[in-house]
Amino acid sequence: MSEESPEIVKPINADQPVGEVLVFAEQCLGELQPVGLELLGAGRILADKLKRPLTAIVLGHNLGDIPKTLIAHGADKVYIADHPDLEQYRTLPYRRVICKWIEQMAVEPHTMLLGSTTTGRDLAPRIAAHFTTGLTADTTELDIGDYDHKGGSDPSKIGLYAHCLYAIRPSFGESLKARILGPWKNPQMATTRPGVMVPLKPDWERTGEVITIPVDIDSSDYRLAVKETFREVNQTVNLAQADVIVAGGYGLGNPEGFELIRKLADCFDNSAVGASRKVVDAGWIPYNHQIGQTGKTVRPKVYIACGISGAIQHRVGMQNSDLIIAINKDPDAPIFKFAHHGIVGDLYQVLPEMIRQLQSSQSSSPKEVSSVV
Amino acid sequence: MSGISDILVLIKQVPDTSSKAGLNPDGTIDRAKAKRMLNPFDRYALQAALHVKKMYGGRVTALTMGPPPAVEILLEAIAHGADQGYLLSDRRLAASDTLATAYALHKCVLYLGKMDLIFTGLQTTDGDTAQVGPQIAERLDLPQVTYCEDFSIEEGKLHARRIVEGGHQDVICNLPALVTVANAYHQLEYKTLRGARLIQELNRDEALKNQYIHTITLDDVSADPELCGLKGSPTIVAHTDKVGQIGGQCVMHQGKSIEALVKEITGGTQIKEFVRQ
Ligand SMILES: Cc1cc2nc3c(=O)[nH]c(=O)nc-3n(C[C@H](O)[C@H](O)[C@H](O)COP(=O)(O)OP(=O)(O)OC[C@H]3O[C@@H](n4cnc5c(N)ncnc54)[C@H](O)[C@@H]3O)c2cc1C
Ligand SMILES: Nc1ncnc2c1ncn2[C@@H]1O[C@H](COP(=O)(O)O)[C@@H](O)[C@H]1O
Repeated sequence: MSEESPEIVKPINADQPVGEVLVFAEQCLGELQPVGLELLGAGRILADKLKRPLTAIVLGHNLGDIPKTLIAHGADKVYIADHPDLEQYRTLPYRRVICKWIEQMAVEPHTMLLGSTTTGRDLAPRIAAHFTTGLTADTTELDIGDYDHKGGSDPSKIGLYAHCLYAIRPSFGESLKARILGPWKNPQMATTRPGVMVPLKPDWERTGEVITIPVDIDSSDYRLAVKETFREVNQTVNLAQADVIVAGGYGLGNPEGFELIRKLADCFDNSAVGASRKVVDAGWIPYNHQIGQTGKTVRPKVYIACGISGAIQHRVGMQNSDLIIAINKDPDAPIFKFAHHGIVGDLYQVLPEMIRQLQSSQSSSPKEVSSVV
Repeated sequence: MSGISDILVLIKQVPDTSSKAGLNPDGTIDRAKAKRMLNPFDRYALQAALHVKKMYGGRVTALTMGPPPAVEILLEAIAHGADQGYLLSDRRLAASDTLATAYALHKCVLYLGKMDLIFTGLQTTDGDTAQVGPQIAERLDLPQVTYCEDFSIEEGKLHARRIVEGGHQDVICNLPALVTVANAYHQLEYKTLRGARLIQELNRDEALKNQYIHTITLDDVSADPELCGLKGSPTIVAHTDKVGQIGGQCVMHQGKSIEALVKEITGGTQIKEFVRQ
């Protein structure tokens, strides 16, 4: 190979047209899911860097104000597919409508983003496999930048690439952050964990185009039917605002264990009770207490995890808490890998003692105060 | 009659990160030194496959793609009751991302012939993407049930419950189908006595082992090497950064009286600032 002067290297893909940034906005029972707005917040930055429009695609039935909300949160254009058979998410019809729409675009999207939800993680790999394009799971940061591909076994890929999607995600048990790229093929795809990206402040004056897209479902797409979706109603438990969350897991052994959890929570100002999915599924406590991937994401000042093993799906909902205290009788429980303080012991011995000590400090403190006054 | 004759389960061997062996100081894994294990999520997939066999009949084939030592997990599957194992092993598969992995595995499925049900784990502990299953389903044009936590087969259809945000969803799916099994599914049962004995025999008798475990290459399954490995992978890891361990090192409190342990928390951390007065 000839030695080239390193001065100005023209990116290999410089003359290729650059497409839009497309966000899949998920709805459930006609309600827009927050992750769609979070993706628009992240997508807006990418689209501005690429100087391309930010678009959103939403499938469902009777979508009402959803397009307007998406535009207010940063979308320049909204594609809507409105059809009774799209009311509930199903893999095959959704992937067909979306893939067909992308296929008829003059330039395919540069980037496509979906949420790392049970829907996004079901749909994204199907779309990626359909287009044989790259997909990065569970990203926590996104950016646009250049990439100089130097090596690898495939010489045809070597060179400088401009405006690539940087999909950044934790890997190796979260001790490393990997930047994953796929500049060779568009759309460059990624899913993003809910609760990570920040939505824009809505601007209800913003205008944008709403485009109705064709719905052309094949009979083979009806191979799966949804019988019923059960969702617990979400009357709010004040987990988002709480300073202290005391959370109980399957280690409680029985539903009555939550009385002890509540008692400990009562020792603190502005506190709330959280739970793992396993105890919610067991019916020990309502869903609105659930923390994690399919529950709430919280960030309290103190998180006290009692009898919770620390599965990744729980961890993603609470790992950003300022102080994590874990009580578990198994010294090898994964929760001890990311808690700040761990007590190895039986929660039925630890919690009553903790309550006793906190209550005695309660009764002692006011006395100190009054003696000062 | 359930009409089930062939069940496939996809399993992967992953580094055992709970053991310190092979863990570099920077947190990366030295795969040559690391202990190996069956991907924990795939235990649920295996249990699901064995459950179908037990309840509805059929033959369970375990399939893995990986280097030669991955035979270990095929033997493990057989010890639990799987009927046979296939190892796709080929140097040209090195550095495959999920798309290339799914391409190679879907070629194996076509090679193996008609499958009524394909089970995969929800995700792997090393790749951690949950993508390979759905990508195989797309290649094979199969319906899929992801996040499945329970199921039955009634009148030739799969009745499944899957996990969704805020609850569950019940679906009915035609067969053949691909199912990714959530870790809320039943735990893998113990090895069968028959299985354990069989493994002893296989380890003694190479010829017999070859009747149960088949090692295949890309050529056997007519896979295009251009679509495998680094060449067939649309993504690459361009850069890695260390991140400060989330939460930092955990201060462990143990081995003292409960009162003393708790005192270290109530007295030694910021939680006292939040105590209700
Ligand atoms: C798609 C999907 C989404 C999910 N979403 C979520 C989610 O949003 N939130 C969530 O939490 N999970 C979620 N999960 C489930 C998650 O994978 C775990 O199964 C769950 O978090 C485990 O709950 P647990 O820690 O309470 O129970 P277990 O894993 O059973 O842990 C119980 C712990 O209690 C300890 N213990 C037992 N007895 C005692 C005692 N007397 N004193 C002290 N410790 C004791 C044990 O050592 C053990 O570590 C999801 C799973 C899937 C597949
Ligand atoms: N190399 C492999 N061999 C066999 N099955 C695999 C392989 N990689 C992934 N799988 C299957 O796909 C599932 C999801 O893996 P992943 O997409 O890597 O998280 C796993 O639980 C396995 O069932």
